[in-house]
Amino acid sequence: MSRVLDCTEIVNEIPFYCYGEVSSEVEERIEAHLAACAGCRGELARHKAFLELMDAREVPASVLGEDAMLASCRATLRGAVAAESEPRSSGWLNALRNFSRFQIPFQVPVGAVALVALGFLAARVTPVRFGGVAQAGVGDAMFSNIRSVEADPGGGVRIAVDEVRRRVVTGSPRDAQIQELLVSAVREESNPGLRVESISILKDGADLESVRTALLDALTHDPNPGVRLKALDGLKGWAGNPVVRRRLAEVLLRDDNPGVRIQAIDLLTAHRDDSIVGVLQNVVQREDNDYVRTRTTKLLEEMGASVGTY
Amino acid sequence: MYAETLSTRIVATVPSMDEASLIRAAQKGDQDAFERLVRTYDQSVLRIAMNLLRAPEEARDVYQETFLKVYKNLNSFRFDCSFHTWLYRIATNICLDHLRRRKVRREESAVAETSEGTVDRMSTFVESAPHANPERQTWNRQLSSKISGALEDLTPRERTVFELRHYEGLRLRAIGEMLGTTEEAAKNCLFRATQKMRVSLESFA
Repeated sequence: MSRVLDCTEIVNEIPFYCYGEVSSEVEERIEAHLAACAGCRGELARHKAFLELMDAREVPASVLGEDAMLASCRATLRGAVAAESEPRSSGWLNALRNFSRFQIPFQVPVGAVALVALGFLAARVTPVRFGGVAQAGVGDAMFSNIRSVEADPGGGVRIAVDEVRRRVVTGSPRDAQIQELLVSAVREESNPGLRVESISILKDGADLESVRTALLDALTHDPNPGVRLKALDGLKGWAGNPVVRRRLAEVLLRDDNPGVRIQAIDLLTAHRDDSIVGVLQNVVQREDNDYVRTRTTKLLEEMGASVGTY
Repeated sequence: MYAETLSTRIVATVPSMDEASLIRAAQKGDQDAFERLVRTYDQSVLRIAMNLLRAPEEARDVYQETFLKVYKNLNSFRFDCSFHTWLYRIATNICLDHLRRRKVRREESAVAETSEGTVDRMSTFVESAPHANPERQTWNRQLSSKISGALEDLTPRERTVFELRHYEGLRLRAIGEMLGTTEEAAKNCLFRATQKMRVSLESFA
């Protein structure tokens, strides 16, 4: 039943044969044909050479290294998922709206209880800066947020309250827990002032890879240029590090803020090596800021590299 | 070079029973279970995105988009295909969208046209061994750029099939499932991609 394959069919099957994507029956027929046909053996050799060539391609690497990139992606995702899983703010408002539509006899007393409860909670939990009362207790302030209010069919009210307790952590900036908190603040805190402050403290610990990674992440991902500049400042002592240099080169190519690009070229200039010549040549082509372009051109000339290669 | 393929890594790391339990727990809102699912597959998703797009920033975006989409739609997962097929289908579709957008605005591509020919921007970031042979390095860089340029010339679909088969070691049947098509269609796509790549790389052979 097995039909003999002709040379055209064999040539068409060779790519799949090399990937092991043919059935055992077809494989046998191909091998039988190859044993007798020098032309098809030549084609197989050429195809294998092509596949080897494809394997010689350099594997793309993140400028940070795969582990650090993965860690940074996970941190960002965690934040995004947390934001996604928060109940919609309209939840309790909707509940109140729906509640007003109830045509039930105990609407008035239930409403009264709800209002009393809300008033009580508001006075109890509103942050001090808004004139509220920080809860007394073991010395830690507690802040609360009402998540939802539901009328209970039994006439009661069900109120969900998120409570956040403030804890003061003190210690040396080199302390591992302090550094972890500072790194979290750099990555996740919404207040840019706090991020800048955290980087200012963290930068002395840039000899640690985790801290350096946080600074590099802030440098390329923070939406606030002030924070990115602070991160650059923190990396000053590491301008000779190959990973940092590649990230600086990336900033030079991608950052939309000329101030950040100027600072990046200044740091790159402090340590010269040939590995960034390609990037610098690319910058000369693409850069629209005169200062950065001039500095880059000068740097290339000083390095003895061609300015106009790219 | 790619002896340990994506599929073998998955089989080795995730016993299917555990995975099903994790998915069910995540569907019920268990954040830890979701995080464990993410950690099982996220390295592969990032790697696929890096290989397909060769742009770290875009790969990060694909990572975020993929897992957020998974998070939002996990309840619609009905176990009628394997979880990794479903996940990679989402990831590859997002990669395909990025590649299509890139085709529209070529200037944002990972490959730059220069007076010296096509240059892969990623290659400027690939770290070389300090004592590697400079001639070999140059040749490798030129080859990488040539391959990247040739991949850019494929259609997004051809490129995806080729990368998933050649660099990720996925079976054509799995690729077909991921792309919502048949194994035969994936096979035809791979054939076209291979022919085009061979023509483009003739000068290096």
